Order: sequence, then structure tokens, then C-alpha cells
Amino acid sequence: MSRKLSTGRAINEALRIAMETDPDVILLGEDVVGGGTLEGDDLEEMGGVVGTTKGLVKQFGRDRVLDTPISEMGLLGTAVGAAATGLRPVAELMFMDFLGVSLDPLLNQAAKLRYMFGGKVRIPLTVRTLCGAGMQAAAQHSQSLYWITAGIPGLKTVIPSNPADAKGLLLAAIRDDNPVVFCEPKLVLNQVGEVPEGDYEVPIGVANLAREGGDVSLVGFGGTVPIALRAADLLAAEGIQADVLDLRSLAPLDEEAILTTLEKTGSLVVVDESTPRCGIASDVAALCVDRGFDFLNTPVRRVTAPHAPVPFSAVLEKAYLPSAERVAATVRELG
Amino acid sequence: MAIPISMPKLGMTMEEGTLLQWEVDVGAPVEKGQLLYVIESEKTEAEIEAPASGFLRHVYVDAGEIVPCGTLLAAIADAPDGDFDADAFRQEHDRPAEVESTPVPSAPASPAAPSQPHVGGRRAVAPAARKLARELDVDLERIPGTGPGGRVTREDVGAYADARAALVGVGDGIGLEVPRLGAGDPVLLLPGFGTDVSSFAVQTAGLAERHLVLGVNPQGVGLSDDPELEVHPVSRTAADAAAVIDGPVHVVGASLGAAAAIELALEHPDRVRSLTLITPFVHVGARLRAVTDAWTRIASEASAETLARALLPWLFSPDWLADETARERGVRGLAASVGRVRAPALARIAAGLRAWSGTRAEDLSRIGAPTLVVVAGADLLTPNGAAVATAIPQAECLEIRAAGHAVAVEAADVVTERLVSHLAAH
Repeated sequence: MSRKLSTGRAINEALRIAMETDPDVILLGEDVVGGGTLEGDDLEEMGGVVGTTKGLVKQFGRDRVLDTPISEMGLLGTAVGAAATGLRPVAELMFMDFLGVSLDPLLNQAAKLRYMFGGKVRIPLTVRTLCGAGMQAAAQHSQSLYWITAGIPGLKTVIPSNPADAKGLLLAAIRDDNPVVFCEPKLVLNQVGEVPEGDYEVPIGVANLAREGGDVSLVGFGGTVPIALRAADLLAAEGIQADVLDLRSLAPLDEEAILTTLEKTGSLVVVDESTPRCGIASDVAALCVDRGFDFLNTPVRRVTAPHAPVPFSAVLEKAYLPSAERVAATVRELG
Repeated sequence: MAIPISMPKLGMTMEEGTLLQWEVDVGAPVEKGQLLYVIESEKTEAEIEAPASGFLRHVYVDAGEIVPCGTLLAAIADAPDGDFDADAFRQEHDRPAEVESTPVPSAPASPAAPSQPHVGGRRAVAPAARKLARELDVDLERIPGTGPGGRVTREDVGAYADARAALVGVGDGIGLEVPRLGAGDPVLLLPGFGTDVSSFAVQTAGLAERHLVLGVNPQGVGLSDDPELEVHPVSRTAADAAAVIDGPVHVVGASLGAAAAIELALEHPDRVRSLTLITPFVHVGARLRAVTDAWTRIASEASAETLARALLPWLFSPDWLADETARERGVRGLAASVGRVRAPALARIAAGLRAWSGTRAEDLSRIGAPTLVVVAGADLLTPNGAAVATAIPQAECLEIRAAGHAVAVEAADVVTERLVSHLAAH
């Protein structure tokens, strides 16, 4: 059975299932409670900046759903410590842009401890974080910095493109014994789709062929998957059938799935809402040249945001983001 | 009575055409020879004249439509009104050719030719194309690219390999590209120096109505093999042509192709039913030699279009060059044709041409086949064609005064008409 939920609600459901099935799972973050939840207080809690954790404190209580001070370094440091000492924390980094003030616990602790202690410690930590543009949250709250976490050995980074995957990936992330960064793209947060009931996981490191075509491969993840799917519709009207591959996991990267679709079509366009330098799109392009060279029938093209901050203006933000039209035009240029 | 107008087939590789524009309104009178409509095929526009006088009675295909060759486009009737059953007329005359879904062997070559320089920088080849070429053991250098900027794609390699598989073996493991069109008594076409059989596009279309037209691309031309000899003798072209055919056929050669045709008529008289020599020669004059030298050099250093532009003044008459539309169309057609001959092959062919000079001056009187010689009044390269006609016992001579060396292109219709009647008479 399934029913329609938004991505935000699907994440909420995954958190509830994780907490019901494992008493070691705790939530912590800025405003994850966010409001009057004291006994007898009828104030509605906020449940995080966009309400994703709403209702969880009422079910699981203040011992397991913790509001933290406005210190991301403290929040993540606490979470890493809790993970190292036996809990299975889910920390919410309100915006991925705040990596700047909280990186050390992730970069030097969470990612390294298991390695440094010869496997004698495990860090079953999940960091949930809003990423990307699309909500007019401006330059300091709209970045897609998953390329930073995906580039750190010892961290996993996943990013769902739809509600069903969001639920399954988050459950897999929480139950993973290693630190996982779970990105919540603003472009898909309010997207509504079928979500299976009950407890299920989407395996980390496995891409999904979201649409089967055969003439060209469109690779996306998170918010660019719906964009790639719309581009595939535009192209289909012109007789060009596109594979759309949803990476779902940026680290580990499902290299075989990328090479499989490339081998089939010979042409690949990767769509990333992040900036172009040192990014996931560049990484995918490099993979195609490195391991898929003989498959290439056209150049690998990247459709990304420009190398510029995300603008606040709705008009500019729309122009900044990759669009289905731009993806389709790029495919047409391949000839 | 009404006359059908159908989408013409202007070249062996043409399968369909776009009707760009009707030049006459429905119901309006038309004169034979009047511009009736314009089509576009393989990136080239062609203006088509009315084949008869009358009234444009009915139009079946509107401007902008793409239809296969043979599709009924319109009817020209004796009267602007009166009985005319458009549907019955269509039933009777609509004969669209089957359009192949896969590219025909030489199809990609012609349109792509101008965008690929022979040399000068690395050719753009998709890695997948490189790999497939390696697997199929085909020479990438010879594959025309249809991707952006002339990039060779995987599909180009596949099409080339398929075309290679269709080559006609002429011995010694050598295969020639011999495009075929039509049905009937066979006609063999031998193109001139540095061009492929697409230079006979109009003749091919005209002859194919009642003949099987076999265009022979000599060694080094088009997809034909190119053994890397120092000299490619004219006698080789003739021997290869003889190997392509079984019985006696009509042989048509232009310029160097005429030299090969002479060679064929002398060495294999049993294979030649009639002979048509367009701008023939027996001695290579200093100017022809200088032009073929320049041709070879430019081909190795510049694009096919540059080569075509440089050649234009040598091949066409001043009158024709004065018409800008004709000139630009000529550049495109010539570029497509010369672009199908590799520069290294040109050097070998030029050496063969020089070696042949003068060797058959005394033998023309031995040619027994009924011969038509076509000469052009403004021919700068082979100005002594009429002497060839005089030397061949059974030769008729058609002189087209206001045309240059490329008379089969410049005065295509006149040449075709005469060619058709010459073949019909023999």
C-alpha cells in the first residue's frame, strides 16, 4: 500500500519509523522541537525550520528530540560524540551552508574515527540538511555543498529526488554504521508522490534508472532529476528518447550504473544545480572519460548553475538553476 | 489530358526532397521551361522547370512538406477547368520511392563533405567511433563525419562499414563504390579528375528513367579503395570499369573519365556498346596540368569548399559565373563532389593523367563504337575536344558554345537530352 506524501512528510515518517524501531535513535538540532512542548502547553511546536520534525517530540519526548543552542559546531560535535558512545543520532544542520561553521566534527572526527581506531569505533551518525536553491533563501542559505561532503573519505552522502526514495534512503542512512550526510533539496521538499507504507530501505550507493530511453543519457540527482525528466519529455516530442539516471547516492557513487547507460547511448549530459567547479557533475564527466572513453559518441556535457552565488531575486534564481529547456537544448547541440 | 509532376530524384543518394516553394499559383498558366517549383535535398536547393505547357491544375504537396522521390506533386492540364479527377490522377501517378530507414551507403558523404578538411589539424572523431572503426577494421581517415563540425560518430562508422560491404570487387582485393540507379540497358558513368559520380547528378536522373545507371567511382574516389601506388594509371580505371560490367554497355566519361572511356573502348571493345566522351582530350595541355597540380595542392591544404571556389573559374563559363545563385549552388555541389576524393589519391591520379598524355593519339581511329563527343566553347582545360571527334570514325560532335569544361553541370539539361537520344539510337 502507498499513499501520496510530500518529501518533507516522507522524511518525517522515516524518522518516526527509525525511532520506533530503535530506541538508540535520537534527533538533535536547532528548532527540531522549536516551541511549547512542555506538559500542559498547547503551543504547536515548529518541528524544524520547515516543519520536517513536527510531531516527533510529542511521540518520543524531550529525551530523544533535542533542541540545541545556535552553535552548529556544538551540535555536530555532540552528535559525533553520541554516535561514538553508542547512540544513533540524527542531527539536523538547518542549511547545508552552515557546513562552514561545523566542518571539523564531520571532516576530522566523524569521517576519521573508525579509521584512526582501527575499526574499534563506529559512528552511526546521520546529518540531515537542507540544500540547494528554489526557496528564495538567498546566497547564504541556498548552496548545494554536497560536493564538499562527497569529497571527504569516510563520509557517505545521499540525496533523494522524490518522497519514496527520501523515506527509504533516510532509513538506510540512519541504520548505516557510518556517518551519512542526508541532503534534502529544497526543489523536491514539497514535491508530492506515492510513498509506500511501512518500513523499507533504499540501499545507499545504488542509482535508479528513472526513465528508459536509449538515445541519450541524462544524469541527475536530487532536484535535477525532475528537471531531467521534464527535459526527457521535451526531447521525446522530438523523437529523442532519453535515459534518466537518478544517482541517489553521491558517495559512494554508482559508477557502474553511469557507465551502463553511457555504453547504451554514447551520449551523456549530467545535470547538477550546484556550481560547476570541482563538483559532482565534473566528477561524473571525468568518470565517463576515464572509464567510459570508448563509449563516448559525443562530448560529455554538464548543465549546472553558473560559478556564482545563488541570487535572492526569484527571477534570477530561476535563471540560475538548470532548466529542462537548457538540458534539452544541450542535448540538441550534441547532434 | 494532364501531365504529372513528381518529386524528382536528382542524385543517386537522394531519397526525398522538401518542396520549398511553388512558383506558379494553382490554376495559373505555365510555359514549358518556366520555373515551376523549388525543392531542397541534401542541403542543396534546386529550381525545377515545367516539363510542359498548360495550367497548374492541382497541387498535391504544399510548400514545406518533405516527400519521397516519385511522390506526385502536381498536375499540369491542358485547360484551367473542366473534368479532372484529382484522386484518380493521384492513384495513377503517385509513385513514392521507399525511403530507407538506414542511411544509404554514400548518403552521409555528400552533405558532410564541405565541413571536413582533408587535413590540417586533427579530425574530430568520437571515441566510440574510433573504437568501432578499430573493431570493424575500417580506415577512419576515409569516413565522412556527420556530427557537429564534421565529427565522425559511431553511426558514421557503421554506415561506412555497411557501404564498404556493398563495394564491387574488381580483383586484387580492391573494391569500388558503384552506386546504381534505375533499370534497363546499363550505362556506365566515369567521372572526371578529382570528382565522384555525383558530378553526373542530372544525367543520372535523366538516364535512370530507362537505364540502369552504374556510376563508377575510381580507386581513391568516394568509398572506393585506394591502394597507395605512386601512379594510378588511366588504364587501371578502364580495367576496373571493365571488371564492373558483364556485357556491352553504354559508356559515358567526362574529361579524365573520357580518357578512361577511350581506354576502355580500345582495350575492351566488346564491352562498349556506345561511347559518350564529354570534353575529351588525348594530350594534357600545360594549363590542364597546372590546374590539376593546384587542385592536388589545395585539396591537401584547404577545405573542400575552398577548393571548389578556386576551381570554379576553370570549370565554368563567365556567363554562368555571373549568375550568383547558380554559382553558389555550383560551389556546394562541387564541394560535395571534390570533398569525396582524398588528397593523396589525387596525386596518384594526376600522375596517371600525365603519364597517359599522348599515348592514345594514334589509336582513336580504331574506336568502332558509335560515339558522341560533347565539347564546350568556353573550355579552358581541354580545348581540343573537337579533334577527338574528328579522329574517331563514327563520332558525332555536340558543341555547346557558351559552356565551360564542366559542361555536364553547366548545360546539364542539354547534355542529358542529347545523351538520352544518343543512347536510344544505339
